[in-house]
Amino acid sequence: MVLLESEQFLTELTRLFQKCRTSGSVYITLKKYDGRTKPIPKKGTVEGFEPADNKCLLRATDGKKKISTVVSSKEVNKFQMAYSNLLRANMDGLKKRDKKNKTKKTKAAAAAPAAPAPAPAAAASTATTAAAAAAAQ
Amino acid sequence: MPQYQTWEEFSRAAEKLYLADPMKTRVVLKYRHSDGNLCIKVTDDLVCLVYKTEQAQDVKKIEKFHSQLMRLMVAKESRNVTMETE
Repeated sequence: MVLLESEQFLTELTRLFQKCRTSGSVYITLKKYDGRTKPIPKKGTVEGFEPADNKCLLRATDGKKKISTVVSSKEVNKFQMAYSNLLRANMDGLKKRDKKNKTKKTKAAAAAPAAPAPAPAAAASTATTAAAAAAAQ
Repeated sequence: MPQYQTWEEFSRAAEKLYLADPMKTRVVLKYRHSDGNLCIKVTDDLVCLVYKTEQAQDVKKIEKFHSQLMRLMVAKESRNVTMETE
């Protein structure tokens, strides 16, 4: 498990997403972290350990390569913006529902820059999305 | 292991689960580009809530939810914070 700095983590995460475009999954885990570096013994007391309240642990893997990072309240603003953009940019292979969402054109236009022309049938839209994903690679 | 069909129910239950015990709860996100699906799981190792989707419109919701939880975890205040669900 490689512990990285926030920026490096984001770079590596992008790489993971790109690697798994053709096959495979990307797993991301998020958990609150209190800063412990040693396991807490069942019996006995902890030696001078102060649980921190303002950190969280982010892990990512593609099944083979593992990366992780710790985010604290100081970095969260910057990190979160970059992280959100990363997720939105990379998780673009999903189907677009255009049957009901004619009024949501503005949202779609803002969120998906590479959106192709909407296809009416579900089967056609899958093919279009797959073609768009292949073209985007 | 309840699997939710609506995002609204899932996010409410997940937020509740996290607030009940922040240290125990974790969020797992699984994305498969080849199959075009996304799965989010929130669990405290006793209860496990899952939401799966293939819709592009859910990506934004899930990503926002993920960020909201991250903010909650990193916030120092221990008062009861209610998240704004869409």
